[in-house]
Amino acid sequence: MRLKYILIVILCLNLFFPQLLFAQNPRHPTSGVTKKKLTLDRAVMCEDIKDFAPHNPAVVFSIKIGKVCCYTSFDPVPEKTFIYHKWFHRDSPSTNKRLYLQPPRWATFSTIQLRETDKGPWRVEISDQNGKLLYILRFSITD
Amino acid sequence: MSFIHYMRWQDVIDILLNSYILFRLYVLFRGTYVFRVLTGIAFLWIFQRISVYFGLILTSWVMQGITALLALIIIIVFRNEIRSVLQAKNLKAILFGFPQKSDPTTIQTIAESVKTLSRRRIGALIVLPAKENLDDVLKGGIPVQGLISKEMITSIFWSDNPVHDGAVIIEGDRIAKVGVILPLSFKSDLPSRYGTRHRAALGLAEMTDALVIVVSEETGNVMVAKNSNIINIHGSASLTEILKEHMGLHEVESGYRQQEKLKMGIAAVVSFFFITGMWFSFSKGLDTLITLEIPVEYTNRKPGFRIVEASVNTVRLHLAGSGALIKSIQPEQVQVKLDLGHAVMGRNIFSITQDNITLPPGIFIRKVVPSVIEVTLDETIKKELPVQVDWVGELPAGLILSAVNIDPENVEIVGGKRILQTLSTIYTEKVHLENLKESGTIFANLALTPASLNIASGSKDKVKIAYVIKHRAK
Repeated sequence: MRLKYILIVILCLNLFFPQLLFAQNPRHPTSGVTKKKLTLDRAVMCEDIKDFAPHNPAVVFSIKIGKVCCYTSFDPVPEKTFIYHKWFHRDSPSTNKRLYLQPPRWATFSTIQLRETDKGPWRVEISDQNGKLLYILRFSITD
Repeated sequence: MSFIHYMRWQDVIDILLNSYILFRLYVLFRGTYVFRVLTGIAFLWIFQRISVYFGLILTSWVMQGITALLALIIIIVFRNEIRSVLQAKNLKAILFGFPQKSDPTTIQTIAESVKTLSRRRIGALIVLPAKENLDDVLKGGIPVQGLISKEMITSIFWSDNPVHDGAVIIEGDRIAKVGVILPLSFKSDLPSRYGTRHRAALGLAEMTDALVIVVSEETGNVMVAKNSNIINIHGSASLTEILKEHMGLHEVESGYRQQEKLKMGIAAVVSFFFITGMWFSFSKGLDTLITLEIPVEYTNRKPGFRIVEASVNTVRLHLAGSGALIKSIQPEQVQVKLDLGHAVMGRNIFSITQDNITLPPGIFIRKVVPSVIEVTLDETIKKELPVQVDWVGELPAGLILSAVNIDPENVEIVGGKRILQTLSTIYTEKVHLENLKESGTIFANLALTPASLNIASGSKDKVKIAYVIKHRAK
């Protein structure tokens, strides 16, 4: 129950102050009006996942951290499905992760290990099982 | 005959002008020693060019020296001849005049003498034999064999001269006999005004092919008898013509004129060919090389197509030509044009040929580097792309850049279709993190890579970046 309240508060804050909390979260995430539709609730790049939540969400990551995570949570998830995290370094595809979702809501993440050559601008395209683009997260790997 | 394509109109004028100068030198100095020496110099020069052609270095050098020295000597040694030619003629005669052969002096002298005799009303009888021998019909006379002159003829017919009643026989340019008795005409229908002189003149004319000039002592009238006819003469000109005709000088003059015309024609042709040879010797014999870096100009590009990449922007042209033409060459006179009229979207390969290169006349292409150019064409389109910040460097320790807001989020880019199809993001120029210690706003230019991309009119080339900095959570 506590988690439910926390999620509701976060959702309200996100609706009224979207940039305050998650600058590169979905600007217009699919609203949860229709519960039957897969809805991206939160998408954020972070340094790590701790306690099932993104740790130090950011848009710039030092290569010294060694890895970077793409966290996405969906609410609702009408049925068992999967999504894709397509990672691009500049405009070149880097990796494509397939992540499974379970109803009624689900949070999942993908991670890449950073190498020296990975410096530069990146983006992660989040798309559903049909390839429909749900959101794009943009970030940079720096010194 | 390819050289005709490379000849300029200046070259044609050059050749014609110098040919005419050479021809005029011939006309003015022919028959003098100056012309002979000039001919010698010309042969020396030809010999020198042949030496150069065969690579006889010393011979050609010596010939060149002698030719130059002789050209100087000719001016010094023949200065009097040159001066006399230049002083004797006016500018028009020097530039355009042709020397005329003087008229036969004998005829002139006779005509002038007759004119004087007529004016002074001194009776005279002058016989000019033709082909027939007159010895059988002439009587008396004193052989003179004196060179003909106006004074002499006048004095012979002077009334106090013992031989003034007789006729004068002129053979060639000499007075053969004086005081000669001519046979009288037996014609009964002669006018009463004709005296003995007229009757004698007609008598000889009837019997021989000689021409007899009669000057009336009473009236001063001049008459000419020939072939049983006797006619009145009005003026020296008509007498001169009759005399020329009688002596056959019309044919001689005509032949002489034709010969002169032929000589002049040959001289003009020789002058032209000599100067043309000299011109080619100078323009082609002294080949000089030059290398020019010329930008490639692309023409006839289809509307909507743009060049996104070219393997080179300039080509190096190795040009050859005469030293004078090479020295005077201006880079803007040389053009390299590639016709993109048949080019297709994507990669095109063009070979640079003579047709692509515009050169001044007299200049020849030896080599083009590179000889092949690769041009990539693309169709120009517009595409809206999201903007992403290209962060570089390192944030101060303990800070994280948690959020970024870019204004505008998207910009419209104009560029090649092939390029824009591969692009999904337009990045800013590198933005350094080192000095970012707290949240704020900065501006950054867009990095348009490749350079063929442009920001569409109406879109900003600079974006506003609002960033949020937080302390790193432990």
